[in-house]
Amino acid sequence: MTAPPTTKAPVPEARTPFYRNVKVLAWAFQVTVFFVVLAFLLWLWSNYLTNTANSGIPTNFDFLSNPASFAIPGAEFDSNESVRNAYVIGLMNTIRISIVGIILATILGTLIGIGRLSKNWIVRKLSTVYVEAIRNTPLLVIMTFTFLGVVLQVMPTIEEAWNLGFIIVSNRGIGVPWYSEVSGAALFAVVALAFVGWWAVAKWRHGVSERTGELARVGLYGGLTFLLIWIVGWWLIGPTFTLPMIDGRQLEGGIRIDPSYFSVLIALVIYTASQIAEIVRGSIQAVPVGQGEAASALALSGFQRMSLIVLPQAMRIAIPPLGNQYLNLIKNSSLGAAFAYFELTNVTQITVGNGSPAVPAFFLALVFYVALSFITSAFVNLANRRFKLVER
Amino acid sequence: MKTKKLLVVLTALMLVLAACSSDDGSDTTEGGTDATEAPSGGGDGGSLLAEVMDRGELKCGTRDALTGFAVLTADGDHVGFDSDFCRAIAAALLGDAEAVDHVDLETSDRFTALQSGQIDVLVRNTTWTASRDGSEGATFLATTFYDGQGMMVSADSGFAGIEDMDGVIVCVAKGTTTEGNAAATADRLGLEWEVRPFDDNDLIQEAFGAGQCDGWSADFGALVGIRGDQPDGPESVLLLPEVFSKEPLGPAVLDGNDELAQAVNWVVFATIQAEEWGITTANVDDFLDSEDSNIRKFLGATFTDGDGNETTLDAGLGLPADFAYQVIKQVGNYGEIFDRHLTPLGLERGVNALWFDGGLLYAPPYR
Amino acid sequence: MTVTATPQSPASERKPGAGYWLKKNLFRTRLDSVISVVFGALSVYLLVRVFLFVFVNGRWEIIRVNLKLLLVGRWPSEEMTVLAVAIIVMGLWGGVIAGLIAGRQRLAGTSTAAGMNAAERVSDLVRRFGLIFATILLLLLLTSTAGPWLTMLLALVAALVGYWLGRVAGLRKWGALANWVGVLLLAGIPIGVFLYTTAATPLAEWEGFFFNLTSAAAGIILSFPIGVVLALSRRSKLPLLKSASIAYIEVVRGSPLFVLLLLANVSLEFFVPAALAPSKVVRAIVTFTIFSAAYVAEIVRGGLQSVPNGQSEAAKALGLSAYKQTSLIVLPQALRNVIPAQIGQFIALFKDTTLAGVALGILDLLNGAGAITQQPDFRGQGLIIEALVFVAFLFWVGSFTMSRESQRLERKLGVGTR
Repeated sequence: MTAPPTTKAPVPEARTPFYRNVKVLAWAFQVTVFFVVLAFLLWLWSNYLTNTANSGIPTNFDFLSNPASFAIPGAEFDSNESVRNAYVIGLMNTIRISIVGIILATILGTLIGIGRLSKNWIVRKLSTVYVEAIRNTPLLVIMTFTFLGVVLQVMPTIEEAWNLGFIIVSNRGIGVPWYSEVSGAALFAVVALAFVGWWAVAKWRHGVSERTGELARVGLYGGLTFLLIWIVGWWLIGPTFTLPMIDGRQLEGGIRIDPSYFSVLIALVIYTASQIAEIVRGSIQAVPVGQGEAASALALSGFQRMSLIVLPQAMRIAIPPLGNQYLNLIKNSSLGAAFAYFELTNVTQITVGNGSPAVPAFFLALVFYVALSFITSAFVNLANRRFKLVER
Repeated sequence: MKTKKLLVVLTALMLVLAACSSDDGSDTTEGGTDATEAPSGGGDGGSLLAEVMDRGELKCGTRDALTGFAVLTADGDHVGFDSDFCRAIAAALLGDAEAVDHVDLETSDRFTALQSGQIDVLVRNTTWTASRDGSEGATFLATTFYDGQGMMVSADSGFAGIEDMDGVIVCVAKGTTTEGNAAATADRLGLEWEVRPFDDNDLIQEAFGAGQCDGWSADFGALVGIRGDQPDGPESVLLLPEVFSKEPLGPAVLDGNDELAQAVNWVVFATIQAEEWGITTANVDDFLDSEDSNIRKFLGATFTDGDGNETTLDAGLGLPADFAYQVIKQVGNYGEIFDRHLTPLGLERGVNALWFDGGLLYAPPYR
Repeated sequence: MTVTATPQSPASERKPGAGYWLKKNLFRTRLDSVISVVFGALSVYLLVRVFLFVFVNGRWEIIRVNLKLLLVGRWPSEEMTVLAVAIIVMGLWGGVIAGLIAGRQRLAGTSTAAGMNAAERVSDLVRRFGLIFATILLLLLLTSTAGPWLTMLLALVAALVGYWLGRVAGLRKWGALANWVGVLLLAGIPIGVFLYTTAATPLAEWEGFFFNLTSAAAGIILSFPIGVVLALSRRSKLPLLKSASIAYIEVVRGSPLFVLLLLANVSLEFFVPAALAPSKVVRAIVTFTIFSAAYVAEIVRGGLQSVPNGQSEAAKALGLSAYKQTSLIVLPQALRNVIPAQIGQFIALFKDTTLAGVALGILDLLNGAGAITQQPDFRGQGLIIEALVFVAFLFWVGSFTMSRESQRLERKLGVGTR
């Protein structure tokens, strides 16, 4: 005979004392850490205020309204404009060199990355040498070389400039033909329209190819449409192109590429392209080999295999590290300050040298750089999400 | 997730910006009161002069490569006009002209080094301007060298004067008065100049030598030294005759250090006064028992005062009584310093002569 | 009619001749051949130009004369023995560490050297470190005194002795107390050398390539604990810690190092009491630390994410506290996984130390190279090219060797790169 199972009366839950309660401890810990960090920051801040007050240095942003007392070449900016406008011009210059640099570096980097996997031994070796040599050299050394070595040593003085008819090369600028008397926006809009035309024709031809089975020939039709729209559009707008000429010591006509801009851009492109080449190579190698083999089995040419099958998949993998390199390029453009290129850092240095308070001035520059980084990462994340493989 | 992160960071930035702008009101008034009333004590509540004398070493802000003014030799010595004034201040304050720590500074660091206390006095061919007195928090002292801004061009450039330079590239040092002056001069004369600033003179030399700069603009005194260093010789360049701004160069200390400021002032005046009386390093000992009691007071020698007592003059500057003697003995008078470093470069005294020789150097009487 | 085929060896046994290699690699198609010819000519031209420049036309006198200035700046001549002793002791220390690692690997069975005979071992070492030895030899050949030769020889001997010692120690299992003593000793030696050297020459006077090397090392070492703390904070569930660390990491990673260095140059002294007035070198190292910490934090965070969740779950099941979980289970695995990425970060910081020369005016290798071209004997001759090539070469040797070692480690640890 077994004893009937006894049901125990529920034991009242013991309340853990608050000093052993995990939640309380966690909060106590982070509040303590927070206050320690805050106290440290406040100590730093109070030191700053004391030290600057003792010497009468302002700590606000009033200096932005002061006259700049320096001129920025290449922009409509004279020495009486405000420091605020100088900052804006500096920011514009940073953005300009970053965009051009990103585009050129991506193109060059992709080509070299593909070259590293080429079947041609010489191309493969040359690309490897390029990547390994440039990747391991500091960017500042490369930039010093392009400025002091290339621009100052190799390029001729204005008296002995190389005049190739439509391009003039000298060490105080490269003159290229440029339009005048029409708005750049209109010309740019026409080119954009031409791209839209190409895309529309491509869609049409793909549709025709699906229905009737004939070759799409997108390149032929699209290319012709592109050229047609571009030429007709520009002819209608009627821009005049001025060729560069040497007038005394200046380059008249056309537009002058600033030698500092040129050397900084070239250095940034060379350096970032070597990093991008490695990323592209890694991404291409990460695409399953079967894809390439299937493409060969379908009798696609090498170029078609790369451009239609492998590269699109590779670029999808490459977007996050590529985005990282773009951010690096934007930040590295700040080195242009050492070579007389008027980007944001240079403008900040000069205003500080002319009497603006240092900490607010540099703080403002940092805010701009962080904002640029955020915007770029947002774009990269957008692209990543858009092109990501949709998995179940 | 990303949006949340973005929001968090933006909030943080917003808070920081808000904190900065909310300091506006209190700080401008604070800064204002400090400037108008006599500042209370030095940078850290004590007299900087006393601190230097306790320390036994003067931290003098200078540079390492401007021929004639301050050059760092291979032996580690600083040689030049400004370096000698550093030594003079040390000789006066500390009795030893070599008790100086020459701190090499970049052009962009000059004022921040002073503001932060990294140096006690800045003797680095720096121009005295209103905004530097004000917003840089510096107090400029007696001018040691009245200079102006000049322009150096290549000898075969064909330029004879500033007006010839239209549509040219002018290279200057970043963050100096030369930048603003060049821009202002171009505006004033209706010339088109592209002013390119570089961090240091080495880069400007490269650009100038390669023909990228048509003109190199800097203080005339500095240009004379640079001319002597040209790789193709001094004849390969030409200093244009026009001097187009006033550049009074002199030492500076940080606002609020009255005693040190006065002391430095009187060291400079001592060198000028010595030259007025013809006292040099060689003959200063002979002047110790001069008949002129003013000279004896100046050198810290004893003199008989109104009551018939033998005493020395203590002007209450906080300096040792014989500071002028030490300065002359260990470094020299103004003329000797100038002749030692600047005359070999071909610089004439010009406006840097004594007042009775038609120049601007005039020392207040030491009594 | 019978057709007799000429007996030939089976196709699979025929060794490819030179002609086959050329056809496959250089002349596969017509386009390929054109590319080969064009680029081939270009490469030959470049090789010849480079060879002529380095060995024939290059005016290397400027480097030979200024070698000391470039490598150690204006280090006082009377303190050179201090530097030599420091190098020898660090050589010993490096040898001990390498020996310890080799011994432990042999114990654990993960040693790659175990399977090699002497010849293979030597060739492996030569492939890995030959470039560095060649560069040091080259630099020694440029010096004119016996001191550097002696120092390097003694350092090599010390390293070998240290390796032997470390290996003996690593092959044995020690008790907990002995372990702690050993760790303290190993950590203490660099600190001791540092104090000894700064007593002779204060930190503010560390210049030249020596500055580049030591400031990068200091930056990485000092930023490592900060980075780990930041990474852990970022992954924690405590909202204050998390948002604070995210804010720090994102803001610092969005800022260019150059601007941070400029800011440190003009304003670091405002944030500390006037008595502390930090020297330029200290400012540079502080900025490198602050900057690196954010990147190390991201690297460590990646490492923490790569540790499977099961590890921490198992630790929890075993009743380990949160602190023990992290420090004993998760963190060691995470850190081991990110060693290659850490090395990459060190290489990046090593290259970025050149920015301190421009931003703060420190006479590092690059800045020194620019300065020597303005010396009276050398100005105006376009020697900047030789100087820059020398600088680029030194940095390249360091970065290339370190990145190859990191790749080797990656392969060995089997860690994916993406």
